[in-house]
Amino acid sequence: MENILRIKMGEEGGPKITVEPIGQYAGLGGRALTSAIVSKEVPPDCHPLSEDNKVVIAPGLLSGSAAAMSGRISVGCKSPLTGGIKESNSGGQPSQVLARLGYAAIVLEGKPESDDLYMIFINKDGVKIVVDNSLRMLGNYETVEKMKQKFGDKISCISIGPAGEMRLAAASIAFTDMELRPARHAGRGGPGAVMGSKNIKIIVLDDTGLPMRQPKDQEKFKEANRIFVEGLRKHGVTGEALPAYGTNVLTNILNEAGAYPTYNFKQGTFAGASKISGETEAALETERGGVATHGCHRGCVIRCSGIYNDKDGHFVSKQPEYETVWAHGADCGIDDMDKIAMLDFLDDNYGLDTIEMGVTIGVAMEGGLLKFGDADGAINLIHEVGKGSPLGRIIGSGAAVTGKAFGVEKIPVVKGQAIPAYDPRGVKGLGVTYATSPMGADHTAGYATATNILKVGGFVDPLIPQGQVELSRNLQIATAAIDSTGMCLFIAFAILDQPETFQALIDLLNSFTGLSLTADGVAEYGKKILTMERDFNMRAGFTKEQDRLPAFFRKQRLAPHNVVFDVPDAELDQVFNW
Amino acid sequence: MSIEDFLVRQLGLAKDLVENRISTIFLNGCCVDHIETAVIEDGSVLALSAALPGLAGASLRRGGYYACLRESITRSEEIFNGRMHEGVIVVKLFNLLIGELGPVFLKKGIIMFRSDIAAFFRGCNQDFWNQVESAHLEDRSVVSSILAGEDIYRGAESILISVCEPGDRE
Repeated sequence: MENILRIKMGEEGGPKITVEPIGQYAGLGGRALTSAIVSKEVPPDCHPLSEDNKVVIAPGLLSGSAAAMSGRISVGCKSPLTGGIKESNSGGQPSQVLARLGYAAIVLEGKPESDDLYMIFINKDGVKIVVDNSLRMLGNYETVEKMKQKFGDKISCISIGPAGEMRLAAASIAFTDMELRPARHAGRGGPGAVMGSKNIKIIVLDDTGLPMRQPKDQEKFKEANRIFVEGLRKHGVTGEALPAYGTNVLTNILNEAGAYPTYNFKQGTFAGASKISGETEAALETERGGVATHGCHRGCVIRCSGIYNDKDGHFVSKQPEYETVWAHGADCGIDDMDKIAMLDFLDDNYGLDTIEMGVTIGVAMEGGLLKFGDADGAINLIHEVGKGSPLGRIIGSGAAVTGKAFGVEKIPVVKGQAIPAYDPRGVKGLGVTYATSPMGADHTAGYATATNILKVGGFVDPLIPQGQVELSRNLQIATAAIDSTGMCLFIAFAILDQPETFQALIDLLNSFTGLSLTADGVAEYGKKILTMERDFNMRAGFTKEQDRLPAFFRKQRLAPHNVVFDVPDAELDQVFNW
Repeated sequence: MSIEDFLVRQLGLAKDLVENRISTIFLNGCCVDHIETAVIEDGSVLALSAALPGLAGASLRRGGYYACLRESITRSEEIFNGRMHEGVIVVKLFNLLIGELGPVFLKKGIIMFRSDIAAFFRGCNQDFWNQVESAHLEDRSVVSSILAGEDIYRGAESILISVCEPGDRE
């Protein structure tokens, strides 16, 4: 991972490929690298779909190695959805493969003058970019199938669907999983639209003949990995709950807590929750010959995913995750798991962010376009997006645009990005992160629950309400750091509860890179990333007024607890004061 | 009675299991941090869960480090006066606890509505019935297949059902 691959799409005579040493970006990976490149090289005031924007695709620092759970990949750009900096990350195989190919990042830049569509192929012998207009407006599944026929099944792919080609603001970038299915997505913030604006349909990666990346200190690395894996396996969340039920294990609980946003954030409980819960989903998967415990990339030991089949045992989609099930389910009043799985597949195939699409349809329901609970209507709407009809283009542009188009007051977005599956009136601490994250409303922005070990920002008493701002700050710092390692964020639970597992993570990083990071060093790394991101947004014109939740969260009480979001603005403005 | 009394003294669960395994508890939809003082009353709804993922999962955890993130839905501190009364409560078991605590409750006996119990038995497949050695209704031995009909429960709105292992009835 000593090189950065730049593909300049706007050069005279066609796309130009350059490979350059990582240079000034040495020591950075994943989110740290994408945010550093975007922050330094993209003019903050540029149009997100212009030649000035760049798509940066970066594996984590540990990706491509034998480190367990190191298969996350980050995508950075200026977001067409939020107008600010974006890092969206995904699982799947490409992170490991790209790292083994030796690239710390692929940077897609410029914009071609013609409307030809390009396919990029990368292997140990180099990089080829060719025009392939036969891929135009194909879904991700069909596109990858064509690549499989052409290059065999030892490849992994990064692609966009029709939504990306149409440059819709909710478009995702798909990453193939172990079965070569384009089922993993960098969905949030519309990075697929930016890739589409460069006319790049797919990047095919082949690491045949290349070895695993080797650590600087083999023995220490091996021992740290052993302790790390042991820690993940023995922990109740990473070793039991997630493998058994996936992330959707949260549905019943959030519903019980009254913080499960239902009918476009009207109330905090959904009568049909048990029908779409992780417990029900896992039982259905097993009964129908699918899989309830499955990894999204090689080297995953948590295996929180699965395979969802229909009643006849045919593949429908990968196991829809908690956020997807909620967005297309409770938020739209839909309690049919089969329909939700179909919506998940359609989102993946057309290349759309499932959270944005679910929330958008909920907003459209509020606006009277269709009724809450109308599952077939929701499926038709996603097909409209895939077809590119005028209605579909509005829906594919996300909740904020759709809300305006249908005259809806209650639009659950921050910085233009849909709010995920935890009502901030019930779990206010998450509301602080939704409001202040440079990424827009993002449940993963403050996810790395290891702040008590990192003690970033000093020790915080978690039992006083005023601790929420400090905790959100610390969580965002820890998350930014983990997002840069290539590690799946779900490791956070084991490192929260088990100091030896957290130490094993630091030992993994140090033995692999030769660095001498400490817990303090990790915290500083996280702060550096957030500072770059905040700086970009400020230069793009963001002020503290964008660090706010929509007004209805302060005014409309959430049943059954009858609570509002009441963290003062002045406190929100303190989140990044370190 | 307190939640701790119910779980440890009435159900007979090991204190260690209650402490470490039942990490997330809701009483009437509110997060519980202190099971020794949270009071269950007639009509209460008690939900029990193992550890959960996500920051939300960590926040909802009993007495967890991130409890302040959800203080608006936390059950207020109570003072338990130690008095006990008879009553009926609803217990919800989630995720890993379904398999782990389900047998304990089934053995003690659970109350189900007439329509629910008949519907449940109607939905059971042959594998289930193959494992039923005998069925008893009010101490009368009955053919197990009749349990799926609502008629046999006529006159009762709710039914106490308990599941015995071989040898338990002797």
